[in-house]
Amino acid sequence: MAMKERDYVFDASYQPQVRTPRGTSNIMLDVIIALLPALCVGVWAFGMKVVLLLAVSVCSCVFFEWIYRKLMKKPKSIGDLSACVTGLLMTLVMPVNATWWMMIIGAFFAIIVVKQLYGGIGKNFINPALGARAFLLASYSSAMTTWAVPTALAGQVDAETMATPLSYLYADNFTALPDYFSMGNLFLGIRPGCIGEISALAILIGFAYLLIRKVITWRIPVSFVGTVAVLCLIFGKSGTGMNHAEWMLYNVLSGGLLLGAIFMATDYATSPVTPKGQLIYGIGCGAITVLIRYFGSYAEGVTYAILLMNLLAFSLDKHTKVRRFGVSKEDEKAEKEAAKKEAKAS
Amino acid sequence: MPFKFKGGVHPKYMKAPHIPVTVITPPKEVIVPMQMHIGAPCQPLVAVGDKVKMGQKIGDNPSAPLCAAIHSPVSGTVTKIEPRPHPLGDDLMAVVIENDGLDTPSDELKPMTEEELKDPKAILQRMREAGIVGMGGAMFPTEFKLRTGLGKVDTLIINGAECEPYLNGDHLTMLNHPEELLKGIQLARTACGLDKAYYGIEKNKQDAIDLLNSKDPAKYGVEIVPENVKYPQGGEKQQIKAITNREVKPGGLPSGVGCNVISTQTAYAIYRACYEGVPCYGRIMTIAGSGIAAPVNAEVRIGMPFRYIIEQCGGFVREPKKLVMGGPMMGLIISNIDAVNIKGTAGLLVFTEEEDRNVEDPVCINCGQCLQVCPMRLEPTYMYKYFLKGDFEGMMAYHITDCIECGCCSYNCPGRLPLTHSFKTAKILIQNKQREEKARAEALAKEAAK
Repeated sequence: MAMKERDYVFDASYQPQVRTPRGTSNIMLDVIIALLPALCVGVWAFGMKVVLLLAVSVCSCVFFEWIYRKLMKKPKSIGDLSACVTGLLMTLVMPVNATWWMMIIGAFFAIIVVKQLYGGIGKNFINPALGARAFLLASYSSAMTTWAVPTALAGQVDAETMATPLSYLYADNFTALPDYFSMGNLFLGIRPGCIGEISALAILIGFAYLLIRKVITWRIPVSFVGTVAVLCLIFGKSGTGMNHAEWMLYNVLSGGLLLGAIFMATDYATSPVTPKGQLIYGIGCGAITVLIRYFGSYAEGVTYAILLMNLLAFSLDKHTKVRRFGVSKEDEKAEKEAAKKEAKAS
Repeated sequence: MPFKFKGGVHPKYMKAPHIPVTVITPPKEVIVPMQMHIGAPCQPLVAVGDKVKMGQKIGDNPSAPLCAAIHSPVSGTVTKIEPRPHPLGDDLMAVVIENDGLDTPSDELKPMTEEELKDPKAILQRMREAGIVGMGGAMFPTEFKLRTGLGKVDTLIINGAECEPYLNGDHLTMLNHPEELLKGIQLARTACGLDKAYYGIEKNKQDAIDLLNSKDPAKYGVEIVPENVKYPQGGEKQQIKAITNREVKPGGLPSGVGCNVISTQTAYAIYRACYEGVPCYGRIMTIAGSGIAAPVNAEVRIGMPFRYIIEQCGGFVREPKKLVMGGPMMGLIISNIDAVNIKGTAGLLVFTEEEDRNVEDPVCINCGQCLQVCPMRLEPTYMYKYFLKGDFEGMMAYHITDCIECGCCSYNCPGRLPLTHSFKTAKILIQNKQREEKARAEALAKEAAK
């Protein structure tokens, strides 16, 4: 045995010595897989242009991520797949009428301005894909709010473009929804809208996958959608001829609510990490969405609701600390009172 | 039914309890460090040239209340008394014995009589004499723990969770010595003045649970509690929570909630010391990892250099990268292969590239996984951020000192942050800082008095 002659030098690195095989790239891959059903529905509804937009979006996101890290002499980061996720998400929140160069501008804004300038993955304070969408919405508002007719409705709608269910729901002079906007069609994804948001079914399949793989918890999506549902159920809307429950269901199934609540609001870097914080964050997102839908001039409120709540994520964490092991509710109260007294004294 | 604790992880267990226990005989030269417990170090009781017998007391510190005696694991001659590499770090004073290979037993300790076995004081005295410490790894003198808990403790818990991956020592002790183990628990229970003890065992050791239940544990005043399989079920605080639903207060001791926890092999060592008069110098140890050809469960004695142990297991099969003493989650890194095994060495793991998942540039993606798995319900992600800033107030506000260093947050971190390691470092820094501040305050007070 050659052991005696040798002096071994051992790695003195840190505890623990074993780690889960699941790294950042595995989680990002799970998100990509979860988005595939919604993407497939988008391709089915809007044709191969979706693939072109997707390719441009993902390639430019990865390119910007790579070139920025290279120029700034920072460690490579495209391997974590987060740029791919951003590119994919950005495509899914665009109307198919967007142009390929808009995707490049969006990718630049998402990756360079929103993400890398603040330090890269985990450090951005708003969701990159949504930030890009808001930016493009402000810059190219007509292209961003013109909705192509999905393949399944081509026979029933005799036009190039059409209005979304949400714009019917929140029109100043309410007209009844056309027959093809049945609840079933909205659930399956036979409606105009952004590429990835149209099918509730596809998005819910993705949600189930994310929950099974423990990528996200139920708290943010459920509290977000739940808040929208409860508020719509309570307030309803007069003059629509719908009962409150119908109104509520139409609100949940139209617009980008489900896609936003499940894939956008749960973005790690821009949502709270404490359980209580996540619930409050979801409720806040839901409440702002409803406020914008009811009172804003723009029918779709999810994007701005999430972006606004993104800014509160850190504060929510700070004020919703978890109750530690060994500290009972009474202990916690006493602790808080003592802190108050101390603050007063000083 | 056991109570549940929040958090925890499910690492790959890699256990091999089906491998029968082999005996690794001590080498020609054994090195017995004079510190194998928390507390005051022992003074050597022998001199160079002395003949010693197996089981003879060679180190003690009778004046220190927190101490455990140390015994010779072999018979032979003392050749040197000098500092030698210690697994916990620096070189520490050790007695070097040339092994004559005869294993002539010492008759210093005799099996206790029937009456003595029922006398709590006699049992405690024997624990002190036999050098019994917590064999789970902490090596806290058991006699001190049980004695100081008298009057406060109403529940004695035996820890049979063995939730660390790889390790099989406790499981094999249960399988090979069920009755002795139950007798040992009965002794510990008697020493605490209690009529019942709870034995928490994770359900992945169902064969051991069945075997122990077939030996009529009620006769010994023991109740077996099958527990959920989740790391760190065997953490002292988690074990207490699982069995009594009590939560140890931050900074508090188990006796603060009326509990004392001892480990499986400690209970077996108590049996050996009292019934057979054999002091604590051996244990079962698991030698495993991808750098070792095949995992080995071995009966070992203390004082064998790791180099020798690995040679006895066939040497390295691949370029070793890390040596770990204990389990992979909480075990300590060994930097010197010439260090020796001690009473708390439950395992020796040799890891290679295969187990290494650290990356050069760990990045936090703020996923919050660390919060979900923290069994102390802390917020590792924020503790880490304040640690990087060197902000002690921030770290204290996030209760970094509550961290039990179980490793769950680091284990589960997809960004591969060195979370647990940072908290360990931070706790030492905080301790030093508090000590410094105290010293400064005292110096100022002295100055003022003048």
